[in-house]
Amino acid sequence: MSQVIHHTQVDGIPALFAHTTGPMLAGLVFRVGMADETLGQAGITHLVEHLALHRQGLADYHFNGTTKAAFTHFHVKGTDQEIVAYLNGVCASLTDLPMDRLETEKEILRTEEAGRSTGQLPLWRYGAQGYGLVSYPEWGLTQLRPQDVLHWAERSFTRENAVLWIAGEGIPAGLSLKLASSARHPMPPVTSALPAAPAYFSGGKGGVLLDSVVREGVAAQLYAAVLERELFRSLRQESGFSYTAATDCEARGDGFAVITAFADALPDKQDAVLGGFVDVLAKLQVGRFEQADLDAVRARADEALIAPHAAAQLLSSAAEKVLAGRPVYGPQELRAELWAVTPTDLHAVALEASGTALMQVPAGHRADWAGYAPAPTRSSYTVTGRRFASAGNDGTSLLIGAEGVSLTGDGESVTVLYRACAAKLTWPDGGRRLVGNDGLTVDVEPGFYGIDPQTMATIDAAVHPSATVWLPPRQHQPRPASERKATAAPTTTATTGGQGENPPTRRTGGQTAVLIVFGLAAGLWSCMALLLTLFGATDPQTTTGEWIAMSLFFWVVAALLAWPAIRILRRTRRT
Amino acid sequence: MSAATPLPPPDFEVASAYPEARWLRQAAAAHDWRAIREYAHRLPQDTDRTFVATSVGDVPGVEHPLRELVAAAPDDVLAATLLAAREVNLGWEARTASRAERVSRERFTVFQEHLRRAEQLLIRVTALDPAQDAAWSERLNTARGLQLGQNEARRRYDRLAAYRPHHFTGQARLLQQLCPKWGGNWEAAHGFALECMRAAPAGALNGGLVAEAHLEHWADLAKDRRPEYLRQSYVHRELVEAAERSVLHPEFRRPFGWVTVQGTFAALFGLIGDQERAAAHFRALGNLASSYPWSYLGDPADAFVTYRAAALARG
Repeated sequence: MSQVIHHTQVDGIPALFAHTTGPMLAGLVFRVGMADETLGQAGITHLVEHLALHRQGLADYHFNGTTKAAFTHFHVKGTDQEIVAYLNGVCASLTDLPMDRLETEKEILRTEEAGRSTGQLPLWRYGAQGYGLVSYPEWGLTQLRPQDVLHWAERSFTRENAVLWIAGEGIPAGLSLKLASSARHPMPPVTSALPAAPAYFSGGKGGVLLDSVVREGVAAQLYAAVLERELFRSLRQESGFSYTAATDCEARGDGFAVITAFADALPDKQDAVLGGFVDVLAKLQVGRFEQADLDAVRARADEALIAPHAAAQLLSSAAEKVLAGRPVYGPQELRAELWAVTPTDLHAVALEASGTALMQVPAGHRADWAGYAPAPTRSSYTVTGRRFASAGNDGTSLLIGAEGVSLTGDGESVTVLYRACAAKLTWPDGGRRLVGNDGLTVDVEPGFYGIDPQTMATIDAAVHPSATVWLPPRQHQPRPASERKATAAPTTTATTGGQGENPPTRRTGGQTAVLIVFGLAAGLWSCMALLLTLFGATDPQTTTGEWIAMSLFFWVVAALLAWPAIRILRRTRRT
Repeated sequence: MSAATPLPPPDFEVASAYPEARWLRQAAAAHDWRAIREYAHRLPQDTDRTFVATSVGDVPGVEHPLRELVAAAPDDVLAATLLAAREVNLGWEARTASRAERVSRERFTVFQEHLRRAEQLLIRVTALDPAQDAAWSERLNTARGLQLGQNEARRRYDRLAAYRPHHFTGQARLLQQLCPKWGGNWEAAHGFALECMRAAPAGALNGGLVAEAHLEHWADLAKDRRPEYLRQSYVHRELVEAAERSVLHPEFRRPFGWVTVQGTFAALFGLIGDQERAAAHFRALGNLASSYPWSYLGDPADAFVTYRAAALARG
């Protein structure tokens, strides 16, 4: 079996080929992704990807599309003819998008998004721009116009920004990849919202999540694999604090890779998971790598590289490397690199990782004691302007000036400058949320701060229209008491017109009583309903019609009794 | 005991019981790190080395040469542990001995800053060599002061116990964490003390933890409820067993910390009114004293004299 990646061209598009047997695999990769967007147009690449695939309809071969931070993939598995039909079809669609589908596809994306959960690390590391946008909802979907989408496709889904890859017996005949032409996109700029590293922030109920940016390479992959073994051994096998301990190493495309590590935690063991996590990282930072770990992860990596389809497996990431202007390595070269890695190399990765680390610790915990600087949740600058005091008596004020807005209180402030405003969320009730490029947000609620319409109009006029995000009416306006906390930290999903989840509130004593009383009543009544349903049919004194009617009646009452208890269960939590 | 020969006043100088502490302080003051290193190296394998760090950590100004030493050799685990012990000491000095809610905000910030410095040195030490017992027992102090949580303290103790299952200082520091004043509860504190006592070899200090838990519990109660607590027969029974397994056992040798343990038994039997048993502990002590437990009973010197007089008059 061939272990070589061949470079060729199809219709002027660079192509990578590896020889395999069995069903053919192919993909078309473009140098465009979420990191190329702005927050106000977030989702536009994903939308183009969906529109381009619409005409594939219900084809029975396996195909899909994936929009990542810097790349968009179209991939397919099937016979020669199916591959040709798919790739030709995608290219034809990209130059002639089915714009009549625009609103429907937007709707589908909104549904898809509701089930998508993205991490908060990118937003804290990069801010509300570039690579940080993957943390945010696709806020652009509501206001993207047809011409915006067409222009995006013409600029980005072009020959110069495409690479084809094929794994099979040969390059199939009949490919006709007609794409528009434009300049090759450089990689997205890497922005930073972290003044110091290693850094941490608190949030979420789960365990400990960490990412680091290191130079891409086999050593980084092996380090991530060793880290996973150490975390698993320490947090699960030795102490049983965690169930899951996992790591990942993914190339960012610019010569660096992002190593992510995660360990979950039982709610009452979070402190120990954090402590154990810190100690595992420290062990690797001082260079204590177990030879057995290195041998094990190297053997596993080698197995993948000598597998029959090794070269084919590398093609889609190799296509990204071509688009990023990075060298492409085949299995043989990677094996040579793999066997050259020493514990000293892993130590170098560990040090690089520690110097760029960003850690998410569970809410209520800190990591400053371990040398992690708190990631900023406040601004260093406050605007001058008109002061509007909160009606909620929480001591906060909004300052609205010519250059931006600041929320102040407790001698600290959060500021969003209009010129560095990534998005202005706009609700029909007048509420606004400004999201700064650094990810910090300020909520401007005219009702709570007594802001007059003229002043609100100056805010609307000051933010560039392309940064305005129109949101549907919201069910609840934020309460002033919780406002500061909600706006001080970078927020993504809170109160975005029903997309965000309302956290369950604490259950009161009265609610617990209602829960028990109605729960018991519903239980008893259900037993009676069950008895009637089971044995009522055999009762000679009732007809089948009466039996059905009575059973139905009993079940309806049971449901009515259960309803208050279920509502309380769903809306509250025990503390 | 004849009334004609007055008893000597209590001696709270640590070096009176452990001359090595004086030697360590002098060596540290003279920056003779090589001598300290050789001394620590020669100690028997199972020695509780915390006293080396705490003795050096008591020397004013020693943080300056130690910081230089650690900066020049970041992997020097002994130097880093000594510096961390000094930082912890400086932190606790800044905090004063009062309880957390009474410490002013500013003092608390300074306290935590010292503890964070210590903690970061110790993270590195235990990463380089997880068998460094003094570093783990200092990390139990930092965990408590930085309020890292009950499970984290327990995790640190478990890491220490993996190498040293009967480490007295480590156990005593976890015991403090398990007390309600540091976020624990009495069930956990007493349970841990008894567990350590029963697992320890005969004649080891660990039985002293049972006495410490009772003293802490007693001190935590309102004054009018204290006598009632000590009147409970199981308290007396546990204290008798703990003393017999530790300081009264024929195998008992006088390791670092024994003055505190003997003193705690003497104080508790004195408080209970079992003067005969109190007297046995006072006789073993002679005039040696430590601020714990006597500071819990008023002025430490006065308390020692009063309880000793009562015990020796009847016992």
